[in-house]
Amino acid sequence: MGTKAALLCFLVGLAAPSVSAQGQIGGHVLTDWRARLDDGKVLWNENRLELEIDASPTSKAHLFAQFWIRGFGVSEAATTQDLMGLDKRKSNPWDLLPREAYVDLYGFFTPDLDLRIGRQRIAWGTADKINPTDNLNPDDLEDIWDFGRHLGTSSVLAQYYRGDVTISAVFTPGFTPATLPPADWAAALSTPLALPGGVEAGKLSDELDMPVNTLRETASVAVKIARPVLNYDLSLSYLTGRSDFPVPIRVVLTPVDSNSVDVHSTLVYPRMSVLGADLSGAIRTVGVWAEIAVFFPEAVYTTLDMSALELGQQEIVSLPDEHFARYVVGGDYTFAGGLYINAQFIHGFAHELGRDCLHNYVVAGLEKKLRNDTIQITVAGAVEIPDSAHPGDNYAIIGMPEIAYYPSDNSEITCGVRVIGEKGQTSFGQLAEMDEGYIVFRYAF
Amino acid sequence: MRVARSLTALGILLILTQALPPSEARAIPPDPQAVLARADSVINAPLDQIQDMELILIEKNGSERIREIRMWQKGDDTRTVKFLEPADVRNIGFLSLPDDVMYLYMPAFKKVRRIAAHVKNQSFAGTDFTYDDMGTIKYADDYDAKLAEETPDCFVLLLSPRPGTEKDYAQLKMWITKGTFYPIKTEYYDRGGSLCKIMERREVSQIQGYWTAAEVEMHDLKTQHRTRMRLSNVEFDSGLSDDMFTARFLQRRQ
Repeated sequence: MGTKAALLCFLVGLAAPSVSAQGQIGGHVLTDWRARLDDGKVLWNENRLELEIDASPTSKAHLFAQFWIRGFGVSEAATTQDLMGLDKRKSNPWDLLPREAYVDLYGFFTPDLDLRIGRQRIAWGTADKINPTDNLNPDDLEDIWDFGRHLGTSSVLAQYYRGDVTISAVFTPGFTPATLPPADWAAALSTPLALPGGVEAGKLSDELDMPVNTLRETASVAVKIARPVLNYDLSLSYLTGRSDFPVPIRVVLTPVDSNSVDVHSTLVYPRMSVLGADLSGAIRTVGVWAEIAVFFPEAVYTTLDMSALELGQQEIVSLPDEHFARYVVGGDYTFAGGLYINAQFIHGFAHELGRDCLHNYVVAGLEKKLRNDTIQITVAGAVEIPDSAHPGDNYAIIGMPEIAYYPSDNSEITCGVRVIGEKGQTSFGQLAEMDEGYIVFRYAF
Repeated sequence: MRVARSLTALGILLILTQALPPSEARAIPPDPQAVLARADSVINAPLDQIQDMELILIEKNGSERIREIRMWQKGDDTRTVKFLEPADVRNIGFLSLPDDVMYLYMPAFKKVRRIAAHVKNQSFAGTDFTYDDMGTIKYADDYDAKLAEETPDCFVLLLSPRPGTEKDYAQLKMWITKGTFYPIKTEYYDRGGSLCKIMERREVSQIQGYWTAAEVEMHDLKTQHRTRMRLSNVEFDSGLSDDMFTARFLQRRQ
């Protein structure tokens, strides 16, 4: 880690003389604290410095890099040795994350072509934060409440502009899996384990069977064409690559005693192609958008090895090779008094793979700014309905009221709560005991 | 071609106005709609323009916040605005195209987002100007004008939104100087008939041959909040490319 920090200092130092003339260093400092409402357990303790280096050495080139330096979590020191060592990460956990680092080359080869090369975030889709067509970067689900956050990937993005038509092409040589939330929240994204009758799960373990490191196995390619049609902005896209969420290909049950088994899973990232389309525009003065992605996955057959229980092996289809579609339809409007409303219907969340796994969500929010935009009150909520035929049997309701105060330029203090009510079996319902309150301080520079 | 024709017409009007003795000019009863269209032409006379603006947000207690933006405009219906400072809004961009087509670039989301006309009457980045104000201005297209009064220096027009236009205000009262046809003051009345905002254009002078206000102030009477906009680095008719008014340019960092 010391080497990484030194590298960052070197980069900043290297950039500093030039950014003063042709660019700048910016970013923000953020402190994010969350605690469980019922017992005060500290769920999140993040202190982040986001550093952005931005420079345009010529009118044809632009450089951008974004790093996070942050302390995260609580002390994990278990022995006095952890407190004595030179490496303080156990007593004071922190990390350095390179989020993006790329070069833009404008008018590359022809004036109508821009290239972006390097670690980058390529955001596709017109819906609000939840974008089924946004599959170029893996999901970053570390913070399950930061909808739409993705990791950067090392890619080449070419964008060709001709009149009002934009053609984008992306090549990403390596495969990067999605990051998952910490254990307290991971339950929301996992499927409950179905074990033989009377048997309980003991120790759970897994291994990832990552793709072989060759271009044939790891690369992804995508193209998109966008243009306005009849006062709407339309785009069509195609991607071939891999799912960034793993699917079990082998599950081994090992008996521990007469009632329980240890479960070890091997997970793979299935190949898939995605055909996407989106539009945005307005119906009179109401903003509207729609986005759909049709996924064509390769099948994943899971071997359930219960030999140690003398039950032999079974093979089940975890992911059938049938296409499935995730989509979002939404709209927004601002009333005369400044009350803003935004609502979306979502079919399928990022981690839901397969036609039978897609849940329905209705997400809506009201926002009102007061005192010349120095205070913003947001009341947002979501309803998850796994089975539309029986909405009363399984559902989760999430309430997310929040108030933000901007005491001066660049500074923001936000606090709120997230509470969940549920019935039956739902993704977010598994977080029902994680109702939390939070406060976030942010200062941009 | 349309721009060229309107400029030719404007030139003829200017020549005629200057050729007529003041008494004869006053003798012609003003057509309020034509006066309004003429004011539009004066405001939007440059073929294109680039300017930096300092937006000073003044609270009721006198405390100030400052935003800096750069604005590019071509003709009378395309405009790009980018925030330069402060840090929390830096690189946010706004593109206004004909027919109420508007885009917003939010760097944090790495995305250019189409925004619908419902935002037109909302505050632009905490200022007392609306998105509509920060877009291009063509009053004659959106309002019907009536002559309220005529002072020695100004035509005072009452403007009512045309049917089908979405405006927050029931009426505007606009002072247009007779000599230059430059609007120097506008009062905004809400649906209850109460005066709610006043915009004043100050330090009006000719820059590179075009009438320009170096300072524009919007005063919200309900909140007692003001936004003062000061212009600098103004450049007219520099031959801006159409490429400056695209989503491509909006997200490009300079």
